[in-house]
Amino acid sequence: MKSATNNAVNEVTLESRTEQVKQFALGAGANVVGVADPRAWEEYAPEGHRPNDILSGARSVVVVGSRGPTAGAWRSPNHRLMEVNGYDFRNDAAIHRVADVIESEYGHQAIQAPGLPTGGHLPPMSMMLSAVLAGLGTRSLAANIILNPKYGLLYYSACITTLELEFDHMLEQDVCPHQMCVQTFRRFGKTPCMAACPAEEGGCLDGSIDEQGRIESSFYDRERCVSRAMNFGINSFQKALAQIVAEEDQEAQKNMIHSDFFSRSCSAITHYKESVAQCFECMRVCPIGRAERKLK
Amino acid sequence: MKSPKKHDFDETDFARAKAEIGGIAKQSGALVWGVAAADAFDDAPEGRRPFDLLPKAEGVLVVGGAQPRAGDWQSPNYQHMEVTTTSDRIHGLALKLARVVEDRYGYYAVCVPPGVDHGQQPFMSIAMAADLAGCGSKSLAGPVLHPEYGFMYFGAIVTTMPLPADSPPGTPACPAPECVEMYSAEGLTPCTRVCPIESGGCLGGRIEGGRIVERQYDQARCATRVQNYWVPGFQKVLGETLREKDSEKQKMMLYSSMFSRTLWSMTYSNVSQGQCAECMRVCPLGRAHRTRQ
Amino acid sequence: MGFYFVDPKTYRKYRDQVLELSHAVQVNFQEQLPAGKRQPGLSDSQIAEHLGIKEHVVREIRCVAERDKYPIDEFEAAIRFKNKACRDYAERGMSSVMSKYVKRAKKG
Repeated sequence: MKSATNNAVNEVTLESRTEQVKQFALGAGANVVGVADPRAWEEYAPEGHRPNDILSGARSVVVVGSRGPTAGAWRSPNHRLMEVNGYDFRNDAAIHRVADVIESEYGHQAIQAPGLPTGGHLPPMSMMLSAVLAGLGTRSLAANIILNPKYGLLYYSACITTLELEFDHMLEQDVCPHQMCVQTFRRFGKTPCMAACPAEEGGCLDGSIDEQGRIESSFYDRERCVSRAMNFGINSFQKALAQIVAEEDQEAQKNMIHSDFFSRSCSAITHYKESVAQCFECMRVCPIGRAERKLK
Repeated sequence: MKSPKKHDFDETDFARAKAEIGGIAKQSGALVWGVAAADAFDDAPEGRRPFDLLPKAEGVLVVGGAQPRAGDWQSPNYQHMEVTTTSDRIHGLALKLARVVEDRYGYYAVCVPPGVDHGQQPFMSIAMAADLAGCGSKSLAGPVLHPEYGFMYFGAIVTTMPLPADSPPGTPACPAPECVEMYSAEGLTPCTRVCPIESGGCLGGRIEGGRIVERQYDQARCATRVQNYWVPGFQKVLGETLREKDSEKQKMMLYSSMFSRTLWSMTYSNVSQGQCAECMRVCPLGRAHRTRQ
Repeated sequence: MGFYFVDPKTYRKYRDQVLELSHAVQVNFQEQLPAGKRQPGLSDSQIAEHLGIKEHVVREIRCVAERDKYPIDEFEAAIRFKNKACRDYAERGMSSVMSKYVKRAKKG
């Protein structure tokens, strides 16, 4: 049995080690960082999609989040600007550095959790769920996006490691809905995000808020959202190609191949940054994190 | 509740703030930098001016650099630069500076995308911004050239921060004295000789009194060279392949080096951007910086 | 033999069920909802077990069905939607999305 003194030393070591890793992550470009317990996935993710399915012996999951578009980009009246330029992958860069330092300095295995889809839209592990379990945000009514209390929309990456770290926990206080949204829902039957993209008018979102001001129900049509958030890219390329190949009129086929739509689809495949996020309308009207986007 | 003030600088001393930002740009790898006034873009079409990207824009911060290296220009293998030249590094720097402007100084900043908007149109001419910011001047060959460094890539950040603006260079860098001399002797400059428009190339022009008075540029032909294997090349090859009725021949086309190259170029577009640099290879501007052992 | 793709007959038979059981439409997804209320979608292996078909077949059906759910017209319509929403917001802020509902509430 360990002595009380040894326990105290070990706990300080665990706490300080966790703090070191977190500070390193913030210095590497993350805006927020948290650590989740791999066992927490058991309640929320099916087998095959949990940290230990990716790295055996996983003891911690370090999750980082970083901002996407600049505050100025949110103000642009040209929606295409954020579509082409809204993402700089700083969260991925930060998590790679975290994984590197855990392996080189702490001698434990560490990998970047695979967040890109490998079968249709499905990734091996959900970065959004990772963010929730690491206490970095809660799932919202707006396309189930995870909203951070300070920054709102962030992009997340995770590092699965055999290094033991101190865990954070899911936030107790829901970030969404914001008080303003509770009021607009009670008065007008819609939150701003639902109003911006209403399911009953060909949009993606619907839901309700209960008497306590919490999400009561939510509806999100992901495939319609794909037509907007992945307007140009792999999806539109495949769909356009199907139409091109089926076209018998050679002139019409040539016009389809050289159309702006197909050109944009090809471009979004080549410049992967153009393919990441191509609709921000529900987030544009979201009050969470707005203070961070209010500049001069 | 508003966030506490993020920055702590003297808001009456924008010249100093500008110098600080320029210092960060230089430390981060920029060769040149400058600021263009947002209201100086009269020659830009409507919809493509700084205010169209960011309401209440005051200026456009321009950074230049990420040139091909001296050794790159010397390679006798033309394919070498097809797969190594990129504006990605300077765009990354521009993104970083946009964050600095917002996080440190509290003003809005938008990084101008180097890609294109609908209809293959740029969001805003970064070349025009570079000229107006004093980072170089438009050349006969097309790219904005710096008098000392010659050809480089540029990034631009539109901002509401009222940084003191620079001016376009008084004397354009192009044509260089050597080019004026060559033109008076032969009626050609190095760039128009290597890619003459009257012989299936892209460039032509006239020089009088040491200045460009006429310029001819076949943009569509230039695209077949600069974007040799990229999306336009892919689209052309796709069209040809789909038209082929013989399935054996069609397979040959699908597996061809041409088709494969277009796919490589598309996949690795971050390093396969400028696929023809022949006009710049012979340009005398910046030559001193392209000379090594 | 070539590369694997799902035969159209199998696709037509299972498409709607696979899509419904997957994450294509997400209802009550939030982790903070009570466990009994939450409706997370199923994984491919869970769907396969539920329908009595192989996992790789489910994956293939799901991938095609995700693409197939909306026609390419929806992608063109998306451009118009975003252009209008973005420009309207730049001009009118929150009232660009809320004014319709405010008017309805006043009438109602």
